[in-house]
Amino acid sequence: MNWFKVITLTAALTANTAFAEVAVIVHPSNAATLDQAEITRLFTGRGATFNNGNKATPLNLSESAAARADFDSKVLGKSSSQMKAYWSKLVFTGKGTPPKELNSDAEMKAAVAADANAIGYIDAAAVDATVKVVAKF
Amino acid sequence: MKKLLLATAVAAICSYPVQAEVDISGFASVMGGKLTSGSGVALFGLEPTFLANYPTVGVYEEDWTFKPDSKFGLQMTAELTEGLTATAQLVGRGADDFDAGFEWAYLSYVLNEHWTLQAGKKRLPLYYYSDFFDVSYAYLWIRPPADNYTWQIFNYTGVNAQFNYQLSDWSVSGNIYTGREDDAENKLLSEFFGTEPVREIWKDIVGGVLSLNRDWLDLRLTYMTYQNERYSGGQRVFWDGEDSRRGNFAGLSVNIDYNNWLLLSEVNRLALDGDDFDTYLLSAGYRIQQFTPYVSYADFDSDGEKHNTTSLGVRWDFHNSAAFKFQFDDVNDKGIGSNQVAGDSKAITMGVDLVF
Repeated sequence: MNWFKVITLTAALTANTAFAEVAVIVHPSNAATLDQAEITRLFTGRGATFNNGNKATPLNLSESAAARADFDSKVLGKSSSQMKAYWSKLVFTGKGTPPKELNSDAEMKAAVAADANAIGYIDAAAVDATVKVVAKF
Repeated sequence: MKKLLLATAVAAICSYPVQAEVDISGFASVMGGKLTSGSGVALFGLEPTFLANYPTVGVYEEDWTFKPDSKFGLQMTAELTEGLTATAQLVGRGADDFDAGFEWAYLSYVLNEHWTLQAGKKRLPLYYYSDFFDVSYAYLWIRPPADNYTWQIFNYTGVNAQFNYQLSDWSVSGNIYTGREDDAENKLLSEFFGTEPVREIWKDIVGGVLSLNRDWLDLRLTYMTYQNERYSGGQRVFWDGEDSRRGNFAGLSVNIDYNNWLLLSEVNRLALDGDDFDTYLLSAGYRIQQFTPYVSYADFDSDGEKHNTTSLGVRWDFHNSAAFKFQFDDVNDKGIGSNQVAGDSKAITMGVDLVF
């Protein structure tokens, strides 16, 4: 009986991990292509343009949103605390400003759909036609 | 045409409050500690002391104290128009009895995607951790190793140009700066190394920093030259008959953050009027989820003054914006006679760093 519980729990956890995919999204008119290195560059303040030369405005989810920790770990390869330490160094030395933060997938979708320069991310399950997916992690 | 202008003006005015929004952010550390043992320096009549912070004279003694490493910082950034911002940072340190002062106050103008110009008062970016020395949340230890961060001047007023480029897989950034600092009553020289008020002047400062980042590797080169003048008790200080002397500072830092391993290193030399002051540090840490235990060794070596510190500690990221740290330091003062600084000491420090 206990074994059965463990197996069910393991299956549930595995399934959960597999389903919680993060979709990196841009405005539907944005024709730029992006790989993980370029997305990392934009979200760490080391670059400010897409590969087609257009200005890029990265938008982050706040730490209360589920996809934030997934994005930090899967795409940027850091924990959310490591990213906070990274940005504190830049903010308090005048070398950079972290991306603006939005509270939910819905707010993120609306912001990206309204700005041709924006790049953000949401839970892949929340994607609809108002935004364009450039990568999934 | 006029209507259009008016409309534009109204739109501009209406959007003004949004553009002039002031962002407030900050950092704080509350750290307590005490000596577990110490020799003091009988020659100076100095009781057992752990000099944890040279420039602000942060000292731990036999009783618990929260002063040396505790501090509060508040940063205000106002975006004036597209690309122009004004930033001020107010810092109150326990070592100064929380007497807050403007540590940074500068205007920043984004010239283009790669270059930003700044003018005003900033921290002098000598060592790797110099310009975010107070933001302890941003680094591993309780404080950057004291043996390296010994210099009495840590701010300057002047101009700074910073850049940011991408060269294939390398991120190349850095800055070039020039300015001066005139510290009417330098704390380290007046209170710790002397008995009379010392006015310390670093002028004709010219320096540069070049950072190269790629994936898990972070390299930093730094160079700075300045002209030193000093008044002790109102009297001009002469060195070999000269009323000023030149200092040249150079440093290299290599940091690795790979698969939860952290390796931090720094090697620096200040050549001041023919004397070399050499410093280096080496730290290693291993991240186990929220815990990062670490070891560190730092060394200062000159003709007279010689000392090193071995440290053991742990950083615990118990919260998204706060970390608890515990550190043990073992200082070995190898100076002879008047070249001693604060003698040998062992001390523990613990507390919380946070950012908001």
